[in-house]
Amino acid sequence: MALTGVQIFKLLPKTNCKKCGFPTCLAFAMKLAQRQASLDACPDVSEEAKATLGEASAPPVRPVTLGAGDKAVKMGEETVLFRHEKKFVNPPALALEIKDTESDDAVDAKIQDVVGSEINRVGQLLRIDAVFLNNDSGDAGRLASLAEKVAQKAPETAVIIGTENPEAADAAIKPFSGKNAILYGATEANAEKMAEVAKAAKAVLGVKADGLDALSSLTEKVKSLGVDDMVIDPGARSAKEMLEYNTFIRRAAIKKNFKPLGYPVINFAQRDDALHESLVAGLGIAKYASIVVVSSAEKWKNLALFTLRQNIYTDPQVPMQVEQKIYKIGDPTPDSPLLITTNFSLTYFIVSGEVENSKVPAHLAIMDCEGLSVLTAWAAGKFTGSKIANFIKESGIENEINHRELIIPGYVAILSGAIEEKLEGWKVTVGPREANALPAFLRSAQAA
Amino acid sequence: MAFVPPKESFAGRVFPVTIGTGVQQTFGGENTLPFHSFEGEVPNRPLIAYEIQDVPPEDWPETVRRLYDGVSDDPVKWAKYCEEELKAKAVALRLVGTHPDSKDLSADDAAKTVTDVLGAIKVPLIILGSNHVEKDSEVLVRAAEAAKGYDCVIGKAQEANYKTIAAAAMANGHKLIAMSELDINLSKQLNILLTQMGFDKEKLITDPMCSALGYGLEYTYSVMERIRLAALSQNDAVMQPPMLADVGMYVWKIKETQAPEDVLPEWGSLEERGIAWEAVTASSLLMAGSELLIMRHQRAVEAVELFVDELM
Amino acid sequence: MLIIGEKLSIIAKRVREAMMKRDKGPIQEIAVAQKNAGAGMIDANIGPAEDGGEELMEWMVTTIQEAVQLPVCLDTTNHAAIEAGLKVHNNDYGTPMINSTSNDPERFPMLELAAKYNCLIIGLTVGKGGLPADEEERSAIAAEIMARTMEYGLPLENLYLDPLVLQIATTQEQAVKVIKTIKMFQELNDPPMKTVVGLSNISNGCPKDVRHILNKYYLALLMYEGLTAAIADPSEVIETVKTIDVITGKTLYAHSYLEM
Repeated sequence: MALTGVQIFKLLPKTNCKKCGFPTCLAFAMKLAQRQASLDACPDVSEEAKATLGEASAPPVRPVTLGAGDKAVKMGEETVLFRHEKKFVNPPALALEIKDTESDDAVDAKIQDVVGSEINRVGQLLRIDAVFLNNDSGDAGRLASLAEKVAQKAPETAVIIGTENPEAADAAIKPFSGKNAILYGATEANAEKMAEVAKAAKAVLGVKADGLDALSSLTEKVKSLGVDDMVIDPGARSAKEMLEYNTFIRRAAIKKNFKPLGYPVINFAQRDDALHESLVAGLGIAKYASIVVVSSAEKWKNLALFTLRQNIYTDPQVPMQVEQKIYKIGDPTPDSPLLITTNFSLTYFIVSGEVENSKVPAHLAIMDCEGLSVLTAWAAGKFTGSKIANFIKESGIENEINHRELIIPGYVAILSGAIEEKLEGWKVTVGPREANALPAFLRSAQAA
Repeated sequence: MAFVPPKESFAGRVFPVTIGTGVQQTFGGENTLPFHSFEGEVPNRPLIAYEIQDVPPEDWPETVRRLYDGVSDDPVKWAKYCEEELKAKAVALRLVGTHPDSKDLSADDAAKTVTDVLGAIKVPLIILGSNHVEKDSEVLVRAAEAAKGYDCVIGKAQEANYKTIAAAAMANGHKLIAMSELDINLSKQLNILLTQMGFDKEKLITDPMCSALGYGLEYTYSVMERIRLAALSQNDAVMQPPMLADVGMYVWKIKETQAPEDVLPEWGSLEERGIAWEAVTASSLLMAGSELLIMRHQRAVEAVELFVDELM
Repeated sequence: MLIIGEKLSIIAKRVREAMMKRDKGPIQEIAVAQKNAGAGMIDANIGPAEDGGEELMEWMVTTIQEAVQLPVCLDTTNHAAIEAGLKVHNNDYGTPMINSTSNDPERFPMLELAAKYNCLIIGLTVGKGGLPADEEERSAIAAEIMARTMEYGLPLENLYLDPLVLQIATTQEQAVKVIKTIKMFQELNDPPMKTVVGLSNISNGCPKDVRHILNKYYLALLMYEGLTAAIADPSEVIETVKTIDVITGKTLYAHSYLEM
């Protein structure tokens, strides 16, 4: 089991020498317990402590990196089964399958789909993270030339080589040596040779077996052959199998600390119909896959899957925040009312929904309060008279509206005087405490 | 070493709920996590209802509105079309025209629509108000009376109006949707209040409030997972009613289902995007534990059914 | 266990009005009532107090200490107001406390003030944005605050770690994590670190008739794990404090222990 920070602290030198970059050994120990620091940072730790800590601090799902450079994808390190317990750590990679039997044009188009897949959604850059090169032809030369093409045209994209033929693997993986490509896959039949190829290319080995019993034996065997970084495929193909195997793998790793299945999982979601494929891929995203292989990368499908991945991997402890700005609800005119609240996203969704319900077009000022709700933000000094006044002044809303009236949440009625004092010429009106009273409030204000 | 699958079984079970009289449908009834038939019993498929309205769907985006051109001007035609052409297993009639800001139709207007629609279809009917707290407690009472004997689902009862709506559902033999706003504790509280007034908890459907992909989906997802875990692992009886995901309404109002491709080329086809948005939202909430879904687009419904086929 | 009386808070309407009007009557009445009920320190919460905070805190400290011979816990995010309060505080009645510093850089100057005036300080184990997930994260933040406390030259004995009690109505799973945190905080140093909670936060948002029940039972569990101090309503919790002190052997039992 993992050690607590205090248990780790007892094994450290307790010199507070700061060489690790932390002010005290205790602070360093706490970071180690959270896996936000590495024991290597301590030059004075004893060999005995290293051995104890190394064993205990190994995460239940091994961290493995796919690809190199800025676009490398971290996998593994998960600690829970349900996202409300604690943040899911590493969002799964989406990998587009390219078969070596596809025409040159089809291959070019797919490479272009991957390279051009990047979009920005609420501040995050999202993309198809990898390609899965399928040795569909069974011919080593064709796979190697496909690999060569990908290496030239998409040099930053991570690569998964899909073949069970060690010679084909050896040839195809050459352009990606040292770049954390995945070599998929090792089976009971070819494990020794595949392990050699993977080691030589410093690649991650994809390990494939039918069922979890066979898979556990095979990962043990591969490990004994000197390969530590693996991704595993339990042979799930239907959605039902994906859910079953992924659930058992995650549970075994986390609840039983069962090391033979403590690796990132690769799922295959390819379906004839792109919409159907979206839903199967979505299952992989929600239920514990680290890599989901898809057969096509339409922009609409990418957007839906990127968004789902982002939603599922949001930290439930960090209040979701929306961007600070003045939102237009309905089609507001310069005479429409102006309301203000904080940028806690649930607050925003509910308040904007009620303003919509009111059918009274309005300007809704959303102020950055680090995602806190109204009362909490006020108590923490983030939603105060002077900060609100500054935000209103700097937002430029004064040029867009004819009036000078600001509606504030009823919970912070106490602020009305302070805001009026700091926002010269403005009148502050206290709105309702709860959002569901907004429609009545706005309509009666409009009628008046 | 041999691998022993770490199976988990639970003390609790979700109540199975049967609705309708002509053609009956049953959902819920599982004693395990969603689709975990490898370690528990999942006796029923989730049920997807097609959403229709009492007034033409002027605010639905083109992608989904045009599917119902020629039938959506009349709720009876629309309901029959869903049953006969789309093979709907259930229909959800939203009485949105009763909202004071819409057509402000009366409770009697609503009752007539309900009677007419019930006369036209055999599959079960879900009757939804306009989500106006005061008006719903008038409209849904009359609607429940008009539907007496048809074993419908009436919704939605909320904290502010549950008493009248629940009493009407109880008196006329209907199931009831209890909705709270994305808060597991308030959801439990509302179900307690309903059972305290004598409403049978086995006739309830919990609506923890839906959200669309990209617009708070993760809140609904986690509240649903937590409700389901409370039902199963804590054997908490008031959390054991099946759950509703009212998907269509939340999906077909957001930017991703409305912004044209020529404005946002990086988002791809508007048609496919809208359909995928509804289907992915629905399938994600199925994974979180919902058993009853209300949806709008035929292709989204069919894709979700196909996905369920693969999971059952 | 030290009870820090919570009743003088700007959130309460009567107190807010008295503060605005500088009406000493209600403030002193509440301070005396809290002392009589068992408070060992009086919290003076003046809110963010952006305007006139210095003068208000001065007035609060002197008003309270005119009525009761107890130290004051100065509660605001306004540094200048804290310093103004510390300057007029009568340390013969006990060492004042600052409420609070945290891992948010905006709150670092509070530690500087604590060192300058050699007073007590609450270290709230939260960072900038986001709430700590569990006892490990809270302890990691505690370790950073402890390191910073030493850097500023304040003895660790003066630091009271606060795990931040959250509302049971919205974040139920946090209740038990806070109890575990109290235990873990003490292990962070030898002698054990001191701990404090804002107790009534557990029942914030709950119906009035269950609030005192939640507060009292929660305090019992926290005290069992070794809690040093609680910001609470003394009249509500004093029975719990005395009873748990008897049960855990901290005070000698007698039939009339509640009257002592």
